[in-house]
Amino acid sequence: MWRYVLGRLAMAFLTIFVTTVAVTLLIHLVPGDPVQIMYSQSQGTTPEQIEEIRRSLGLDQPIYIQYLTFVGKLLHGDLGHTIRGHQPVLDVIMQRLPNTLLLASAAMMVAIAIGLPIGFLAAYKRGTLLDTSLMIGAIAGVSIPHFWLGLLLLLVFAVDLGWFPVSGTGLANLVLPAVTLGLSNAAVIARMTRSSMIDTMHQDFVRTAEAKGLPKAVVLHRHVLRAGLVPIITMMGLQFSFMMGGAIVVENIFAWNGVGRMAIEAIFQRDYPVIQGFILTFSTVVVLVSLLMDTVYALVDPRIRRS
Amino acid sequence: MVAIRRLTRSCAVAGAIGLACVGTVQAKDIVWARYGDIDTLDPHKATSTLSLQVWSLIYDTLLATDKDGNPVPNLAKSWTVNPAGTEYVFTLNAGAVCHDGSPLDASDVKYTVDRAFDPASPSVTKASWGPISKVEVVDPLTVKFTLDKPFVALVPFLADSFSSILCDSNKGAAGFGTSTAVGSGPWKLVSWTKGDRIVLAKNPGYRNFGKLAANKGAPYMDGLVISVVPEPQARLAALKTGEVDIAEPPLDDVEALKASGALKVVVAGNTGQNVFWEFAAHRPPFNDARARLAVGHATDAAAAINLVYGDLSLPEACPVSRGVFGNDQDVCLKHRPNYDPAKAKALLKELGYGPGKPLETSMLVWTGGNRQKLAEVFQAQLAEVGIKANIEMMDIGTMNARVRRENETATGKGSMDMMTWSWYDPDILYALWHSPGAYRGYTSPELDAMLDETRVLTDPAARKAKVQDVFKYLLSKGIHIPLYTPGWEWVFAARPAVEGFQVAPFVYPVFNDVKIADKKS
Repeated sequence: MWRYVLGRLAMAFLTIFVTTVAVTLLIHLVPGDPVQIMYSQSQGTTPEQIEEIRRSLGLDQPIYIQYLTFVGKLLHGDLGHTIRGHQPVLDVIMQRLPNTLLLASAAMMVAIAIGLPIGFLAAYKRGTLLDTSLMIGAIAGVSIPHFWLGLLLLLVFAVDLGWFPVSGTGLANLVLPAVTLGLSNAAVIARMTRSSMIDTMHQDFVRTAEAKGLPKAVVLHRHVLRAGLVPIITMMGLQFSFMMGGAIVVENIFAWNGVGRMAIEAIFQRDYPVIQGFILTFSTVVVLVSLLMDTVYALVDPRIRRS
Repeated sequence: MVAIRRLTRSCAVAGAIGLACVGTVQAKDIVWARYGDIDTLDPHKATSTLSLQVWSLIYDTLLATDKDGNPVPNLAKSWTVNPAGTEYVFTLNAGAVCHDGSPLDASDVKYTVDRAFDPASPSVTKASWGPISKVEVVDPLTVKFTLDKPFVALVPFLADSFSSILCDSNKGAAGFGTSTAVGSGPWKLVSWTKGDRIVLAKNPGYRNFGKLAANKGAPYMDGLVISVVPEPQARLAALKTGEVDIAEPPLDDVEALKASGALKVVVAGNTGQNVFWEFAAHRPPFNDARARLAVGHATDAAAAINLVYGDLSLPEACPVSRGVFGNDQDVCLKHRPNYDPAKAKALLKELGYGPGKPLETSMLVWTGGNRQKLAEVFQAQLAEVGIKANIEMMDIGTMNARVRRENETATGKGSMDMMTWSWYDPDILYALWHSPGAYRGYTSPELDAMLDETRVLTDPAARKAKVQDVFKYLLSKGIHIPLYTPGWEWVFAARPAVEGFQVAPFVYPVFNDVKIADKKS
C-alpha cells in the first residue's frame, strides 16, 4: 500500500514539475512582446518604464535563469505580483480558491445525490420504460450547456420566484451555481453508475450470492452496490477536475468570487503572473484530488495495490 | 427589499463559515453592479475606467469638470499662471477634510505629486502630469508647481481622477491601495474584496466645492456597495429583483427597457471616448493618402451607428470627441473625408483598383460591446466601392500590440483598425501622433511642430486655433478618420425608486444626490 501511494506521489510531483516548466514558457509562447501587450492599455507608459517592468519581471534574463528564479520564488510561496494593481498573486488566489473549491464540492454533492440513485434505479429496472426515460434525461442533462442552464435557473428561481439571490458569494448564493454545475455532472454519474452496476450484476460472485438464496435487496446492497462503486470513485476524481473547469463559466454567470472568474479577467487583461498562478494552482488541485481518489480506490479494492 | 434582507442574512452565515462576503448590504446603501473590478485603489498604479470611476468617489481633485467638460475650481478655489506658463500657484479652499480627520492642505498636494514622480515607483500616468520639476508648500492653503517648460494640458489633467489628491496620512500605510485608501471624497473606503465588491460609507464631513452635484454636503445615502457581476443578464435580473439599484444593462435590451419604463436608462454623454479609422501608414496600400481617404469617403458612420446603436451613440467629425477642448463639428466636417462613394471609387481607380481588382485589407476590431455588428456594416459599406476588408476580432491588448508591430514593418498586408481612445484634452493627439507616436504610426516634422505648440500656448484662443490646425492636418490626409462617440458603451439602468443619479463627463457616475425612495430608514 505505501509503495503504491509513494509511486503515486512521485507521479504527482512530476506532473507539477512539468506544469512549472509550462507556465514559465507560457509568457514566451504568446506572439508579440509580452510587456508591450500587458501595458498597451496603459496610456502614458514610457519606454523606460517598459524596460523597468521587463527587468522587474526578469524577462531580460535567459529562459533557464527565469525558470530557476520562478521555481526558487515558488518554493518560498512567492508567485510574483499582479500586473494590474501590483498585488501578491498568491494572496489574490488564496482569497478566491476556497470559494471555487466550495462551489465544486457542493456541485459534486448535487451530482452524486442525483446521479447515483438514478443510475442505480435505471440499472435495477434495466430495459424498462423507466430505464429508457431516465437515460434520455441523462443524455439531455449532459448536453445542456452550463451557460444556458445557469441563466434559466437564474430567471426562474431568482427573478420569478425570488427564492435565491441573483449574484454574489454567500451561502444562499451557492445553491443555484452548485445546481447548475451539479446537474450536468449528475447525468454523467448516472450513466456511469448504470453501466457499472449492470456489469457487476453479471459477475460470478453476484450469481453465487443469488444462488445461495440471499434476498435480492441484500445482494444488491451488499454485493452489487459495493463492487459497482469502485470504478465510479475514480470517475469522480475526474469529475471534480471537470467541475473546476466548469466553474469558470458558472462563476461568471452568478458572480461567484472564485478563481475561475479571476482567470477569465486575467486572460482578458493579459495579467501573466495571475494566469501562471492560476494554472499552477488549478493543476495542483487536480493532481491532489486524483491522488486522493486513487488512494481511496486502492483502499476499497485490494486488487489495485497488487497490480 | 426582501431580496436585500436575504442577501444580508446569507452574508452573515457566509462570514461565519469563512466565505468572502465582506460588508453586508445595509438598508440605506446604494448597490451599483458593474461588469468588472478595479485594478487598485492607488491612483498611480492603473488607468482603467473601472478604477478611475471608483477613485473619483474616494478622492477629490484640485479641479473638477463642469457638465460641458470644462475644468472648474474644486479643492483649489483659484489658480494663477506666470506669463511663461511654467509656474502654477493654487489657492485651496479651507474646510476640506481627509477621511482620517486631518485637514486637506498644501502638504497633501505636495505629497501626491511627489509620489507620482517618485523615481522608485512613478505613477503610470507620469507623462500626463507634464514636466513638473518641483512642488512647494507656500502656506497651508497655497501650493506652487514649477514646470521645466509650459504644459497647458496640466489644468484639465488636474480635474481628472488620475490626479486624485491623496492625503499624506497614506504615507507608508501598509496595504495602501488594497485595504486602505484615505482621501477627502464623498465616500470612505470600508473594504475591498478583490473580484467581488467594494464597500464604501458616506463621508459625513464631505464638502462639495465644485463637483457636478446639486448636494453641497455629504451624500444622502449611508453607503455605496460596488459589486462585480460580469454577466449582463444577471445584472438585469438583479435590477429586477431589487438586489441591485444601478447597473449596466445588456445593450441589446436597452431599447425594450426604455420602452417598457420598468427601469430608468441613463446614457453617459461627453465621455471623451472616440472611435476612429487608423491605418498601417508605413506599408501599402495605406502609405498613400488616397487609399486612406477612399476608406473615409466609403464610410457612412451615421447610418451604421443608427443601425447598430440607435440613439446610444453619435457620429463624430473631430479627432477628439464632443466636450473636449477644440472640438467643433463644423470645422471638422469641412476637412474630413465625408461619405461620398463616387469619390471613393474615383480615388481607388487612380490607384489602379477597379471592379476586377478590389483593394484587399484587414480590418482589426477589438472585442466587446456591439462592435462586431458595427464592423460588419462598415465591411458592407466598403465593399460597395470595391474595398474588401477582412474583419479580424481580437482583444484590445493584442490589437494595440499588432498595430504597433505592423507600423514597424514596411512590408506585409495592409491593415486598418477601429482604434478607440478616451481622454479629456486634445493632448491625446500628442501621444498618438507626435513622433514616435503611440503606435509608431504616421508622424511628420510639421505635425510634430504643430503638436508641440498645442502644449505650450497659454492663450486659449491661440491654443484652440492650433489644435484645430492639427485636426485639419489629420483629417485632410486621412490619418485619423473619426467615426463615432462614445466609443464604447456606457449605459446605466436604475430602479424606478432611484432618484438623483447622474453621470458626469468622462463617465464618472455621481451618487452624491442619490435618494432611494424604498430604502428610507
